Amino acid sequence: MEVNKTPRQASQFWPSFYKKTIIIVAVTQLGVTLLVAGLMAATGVGALALLIIVGALFATSLIANIIIVHMISRPTKDLIAAIIHVSGEKPALPLPNSNSPAYAKSGLHDALQTIYELSTHQDDSTDTASDESTTPSSAVAAALDLTNCGFVAMDSNRAITYVNKAAPIHIDTNGVRTLDLLFNDHNDLNKWLDSCEEVSVHAEHVWTRVPDRLPNEENRRLFDVMASYNKGSAAETVLTLIDRTDVYSVDEESLDFIAFAAHELRGPITVIRGYLDVLNDELDSVLQDDQHELFRRLIVSSNRLSGYINNILNTSRYDRRHLKVHLIEDSIGGIYDVISDDMKMRATAQNRLLAVQIPAGLPTIAADRASLSEVLGNLIDNAIKYSNEGGAINVTAAVNGNFVDVSVEDHGIGMPESVVSQLFQKFYRSHRSRETVAGTGIGLYISKAIVESHGGTISVRSEDGRGSTFTVSIPIYSTVADKLRAGNNSNEGMIKEGQGWIKNHSMYRG
Amino acid sequence: MAIHSILVIEDDRFIGEMYVRSLKKAGYEVDWVVDGNDGLITARNKQYDAILLDVMLPERRGGEILEALRGGSEDLIPNSRVIVLTNFEQDDESRMAMQQNADAYLIKAEITPKRLISVLQQLDGTAPAPIDQPQV
Repeated sequence: MEVNKTPRQASQFWPSFYKKTIIIVAVTQLGVTLLVAGLMAATGVGALALLIIVGALFATSLIANIIIVHMISRPTKDLIAAIIHVSGEKPALPLPNSNSPAYAKSGLHDALQTIYELSTHQDDSTDTASDESTTPSSAVAAALDLTNCGFVAMDSNRAITYVNKAAPIHIDTNGVRTLDLLFNDHNDLNKWLDSCEEVSVHAEHVWTRVPDRLPNEENRRLFDVMASYNKGSAAETVLTLIDRTDVYSVDEESLDFIAFAAHELRGPITVIRGYLDVLNDELDSVLQDDQHELFRRLIVSSNRLSGYINNILNTSRYDRRHLKVHLIEDSIGGIYDVISDDMKMRATAQNRLLAVQIPAGLPTIAADRASLSEVLGNLIDNAIKYSNEGGAINVTAAVNGNFVDVSVEDHGIGMPESVVSQLFQKFYRSHRSRETVAGTGIGLYISKAIVESHGGTISVRSEDGRGSTFTVSIPIYSTVADKLRAGNNSNEGMIKEGQGWIKNHSMYRG
Repeated sequence: MAIHSILVIEDDRFIGEMYVRSLKKAGYEVDWVVDGNDGLITARNKQYDAILLDVMLPERRGGEILEALRGGSEDLIPNSRVIVLTNFEQDDESRMAMQQNADAYLIKAEITPKRLISVLQQLDGTAPAPIDQPQV
């Protein structure tokens, strides 16, 4: 770019110009002297002639010097004019056009350009220092305001320094501007910036399908958000928001449809599970052993179907930012009890050895019983699916700092590292599992979402061919009780079962 | 006070019959109505120990029935426990309102008759709504 060459050419301009001027002066004077000498030699000197010669010499030198002075002072005049212009004073001299061909040829173009650019940088730093917006030129700002895309610039304190019209923000009574973007995890952007500040000089990240309002609110928009981070720059973080409402709103409707369809499925499932439960009791004494086994398979299958419907409903809720959990004091043992019979039956039906060791004295956790039992059900279901006939599955629990860890370990097919990193993505199915095991790829996705809604984490250790261990860490109740109380969990103590109600606790993560 | 008499307000015939059959077998005295208006009238005319209330009902929704029975200044059914049973997710607001006035709020697909009876047994012997009830 021109700018990179600027210092060299600007500094070279003056010496070369000076040298050229001296040569011109010397040559001119020499020419004049030769002319005079020639005249004197040819004519012989009379008084009148002398007068003529001196007069001619005077006139010639005068004209030549005026031209020379004009030439020498021209760049100085232009530079002064440029400096006057950038200093903001009323222009006394015509403003030199740095782009004229004569300047480009002589090299003065770069010197003038440098002055103009220096003035622009200075404007920026003055604005930042006084905590004003990093405002692009009015022409650019006007253009950005006409686009459908949002542009947001933030400084190193994550304060918004510029937004265009399309960007969704709100301004509080103190004039502080805040982004109206509902990230999946409401702290996504800040978390990413935290990691950037720690390890990155330059970084970029994209979030898709980020809404600015809750579902069913009017004029809801959905964006793809691209963030770019440049450490130390005046606009350290720049967000580009591409309005994809047209594309994604269609998906939203299909999510609504999925939720509706899943609800419809619950009706028949209620009857099937209910009557199986009833008949299993009533026919207990009548059925043969093999018939008992068939019955168990019916029950296991209907329970699994019900679990998958719950996964679909939860996923559709989560994707629409509807998934909410209501955290109350509970025990891992109690939560496991909800699914205990079902899991035992599933393991037996598929010939797996399920061993559950949950110590009695574990501290209580802050949990949504229905959601968390679904997570454990998903993990055990996976352990059954991805292990071999007769394989052992161990469920254990232990305290780990401020958390209670629940681990589900299988000795099945395991997976390579490349698979592990993508495991919790929606619809992700490894090449191998696609070939060998049925599934939708939402079980782990929704499990992670639920666990993180508890303020917990989910992780996996796996060895290809040796098996996998999934660990869910949930905060111990006493460590988060204050925050939960601050969140006004007014329905604490309500009986909840199955997909009971789930209350938002975003305040809980503070 | 033990739970003995139960009113089932449920419009789905299969589900209604299933609950009624199991509850009767378990020794409860059960009345069953299928629409919301009848449900409200029956609940006001006779005192039941427990009411199983569906949400999506013809004529009158479960939420309206509950509001009419317990939403006013006076609780019209102070001696009854109300168990809301639904398969359909409510929006937060109406769900919250129902939970304020109900003793339990359950998803039908998760509640087999056996579980329903165990919920009733748990509610038995506890004070009517809002109860301080541990998990099922």
